[in-house]
Amino acid sequence: MKTTRWLAILALALGLVLAGCGEDDEESGGAQEESTPAAEVEQFEPGTPLGDIQQEGTITIGVKYDVPPFGFNNPQSGTVEGFDVDLGRAIAERLGVEPEFIEAISDNRIPFLQDGTADVILSTMTINEERVEQIAFSDPYFIAKGRILHKKDDTEITGVDALAGKSVCTALGSTYEATLKEQAPEAKLKLVDSYSECLESLQNGSVDAVSTDDVILTGMIIQDDTLELVGEELTQEPYGAGIRTENTELLEFVNETFEAYKTDGRYDTAFEKWIGQYTGAQPEPPTISVDEAVELVKQSAG
Amino acid sequence: MTFAVFEWLNSGNNLSFILEGFAINLEIALVAILLALVAGLALALLRLSRNRLVSTVAGLWVDLFRNLPLLLLILFLFLWIPQGWRNTWENTIPGWAPEAFQSGLMLAGLSGLVLYNSAVLAEIMRAGILSLPRGQAEAASALGLGYRQSMLHVILPQGLRRMVPATVSQLITLNKDTTLVSIIAITEVMRRARTVTATSGNPFTGGGVDAPILEVFIFVGLLFIAVNFALSRLSKRLEVRERRRSGSVPKPQVRGLEEQVA
Amino acid sequence: MPFAFFDVLTDNFDAFATGFGTTLRIVVLSFVIAMVVGTLVAAFRVAPNPWLQRLGAIYVEFFRNIPLLVLLFISFPGLRRAGVEITAIVAGVASLGLYTAAYVAEALRSGVFSVSKGQIEASLSLGFSYPQTLRRIVLPQAFRTVISPLGSLIIAMIKNSAILGGSILALDDLLKAGRVIQSRTFETVPSFVWAAAGYLILTGLATVAIRRLETRYAVRR
Repeated sequence: MKTTRWLAILALALGLVLAGCGEDDEESGGAQEESTPAAEVEQFEPGTPLGDIQQEGTITIGVKYDVPPFGFNNPQSGTVEGFDVDLGRAIAERLGVEPEFIEAISDNRIPFLQDGTADVILSTMTINEERVEQIAFSDPYFIAKGRILHKKDDTEITGVDALAGKSVCTALGSTYEATLKEQAPEAKLKLVDSYSECLESLQNGSVDAVSTDDVILTGMIIQDDTLELVGEELTQEPYGAGIRTENTELLEFVNETFEAYKTDGRYDTAFEKWIGQYTGAQPEPPTISVDEAVELVKQSAG
Repeated sequence: MTFAVFEWLNSGNNLSFILEGFAINLEIALVAILLALVAGLALALLRLSRNRLVSTVAGLWVDLFRNLPLLLLILFLFLWIPQGWRNTWENTIPGWAPEAFQSGLMLAGLSGLVLYNSAVLAEIMRAGILSLPRGQAEAASALGLGYRQSMLHVILPQGLRRMVPATVSQLITLNKDTTLVSIIAITEVMRRARTVTATSGNPFTGGGVDAPILEVFIFVGLLFIAVNFALSRLSKRLEVRERRRSGSVPKPQVRGLEEQVA
Repeated sequence: MPFAFFDVLTDNFDAFATGFGTTLRIVVLSFVIAMVVGTLVAAFRVAPNPWLQRLGAIYVEFFRNIPLLVLLFISFPGLRRAGVEITAIVAGVASLGLYTAAYVAEALRSGVFSVSKGQIEASLSLGFSYPQTLRRIVLPQAFRTVISPLGSLIIAMIKNSAILGGSILALDDLLKAGRVIQSRTFETVPSFVWAAAGYLILTGLATVAIRRLETRYAVRR
């Protein structure tokens, strides 16, 4: 094959690509099977986003499948469980539909939301400036802190300043890639698809540390007590449920659901069940708004 | 290493969990090869078209997709396929299809596999057809058969039969390639093996016997080797039969090797 | 939109270039391993000793029928957990090299058989030992026949190298660079197109090099 042929192939590829570029927004909302909405639940008009969900009978929620205690697929029980999952169930219950959980890994959750694959994303997603431009967030439902995890017998890593030359693992598409680049520019970043791979890498010694939200790290410690948190907190990470920007009714609905959840005691129960019993921490439902959350993140990122 | 190697296989429903996943891989491979054969045949015919423009464009398409990493195609489709298509998939997939196929993610996985393999198979078919002695085509036209008729009744049946061994070889490769869809979160055997290693022996997730990664993946490897080895034996037998039937090996012995490499 | 398309390349050129370089390095290293090991295994396969033959056959059947991704899991997290201090790049290159070696061995073996038996017998009867016969008579001729299939294997290796980045090895290769850039910029099509272009450049160069070698050395069959 001559050089010209290769150029021709590239040209064809470009042609295909430009054709594919046009497919940016696709409407969602294909109603599938119908099921009668439960009683005692506020009914919405079909044709509105919430009404459509009720007609379908299911709401699709993207959660993590491998991040205890927020969302993980328990093979023994065969279901997805966790703090995020319980929140999702609360939303579904209030809407009178069944929750359908799908796996949302860090680099696909926003595209999934934007193209309608998922109605809500509840997957330890931090509210920050870049994401706010792409999607809408509910009021923060949890504030995690960015921390560093390492093996107990490692004496060299004492905090984020000691990461120079060390290898640190975090997930592709998470906020920590940027955070670590800022706070530990000399560290060697290893980016993987999911935190379970980070845990594996730390355990088998191929990275020196893992950095992400403290609750995710706590989930790792629960699975392996030779690990410990070290150093000061790097960032504040307010979690919010992700919703498509145009879907303002769903946003309002979710915010109302969360408000009720936080005040009627379900929040405390879930917190205790998933986090408190392991860390001894007290539940502190956040009361800040989305904008305040964005500010918080900006300040703490330094 | 414990004395009882592979004892995790007996604990809980680990074994059935993994075997079910393996069945999914085989199912994906089967569906993909069937679709790829159809698409590949179409591409091959376009390639052989007497219309220069059509054959050139088809040729470029085939060359493009044969030279791209399959994983790149799969990951791209995973992130790019719009919701409308995913919805259509989930709506049209029949209820009796296995659970893994119900998810719209399978659309990305299958499309990637089919896009790539149809290009590869198109080349195999084209080689098979072109390897027919010229005499066949000439005889057909001498007998008064038009292009389409000679294709349908003379060229294609013989040419396609010659590529059966190569197609079985490609199925072996396809079997191996199905593991790549684990990277887009389809719960086939690789994902399930990962779950077993991550959750067994772990008090937080239910306990049970510890399943070392080395053992679990050697087991998974053996599953693939068993199936693929059987397929390769089948391919050799088909090749021998073909040789006996047509009296010659249509291509040099090392042909088709490149298509077999993952 | 067209501007964004090229911006993705220019803004992230460093990342793409680094990924390209890593992929190139992986391919070269794996190729060396594949050739060395593959030659050895091919020699085993045609050796007069039946045990060596069986060993060679087992190697080929094992590495040809197992998925590369499974090999990567065995060689990286698998071995590390079992106590072997292997690094990601070593595990990746070794896996890809050993995997491709099985195909190299088969290609060489077919090439060896293409050298007529008469030559082997003549050489042996002239007093050359079997290793000498292999080295001076058989292998040089066999190599020439196999340039084309070997070329295909190199291209296959370039494509397979992408699996290393996507697996738990998480090497920073070209495909990884594309994904990282996509997750930062959300520009899916451009990120992947430029990564794909990089792979096409590599396979294109390989094809051109193989063609050159073919016209210079290959035996017409």
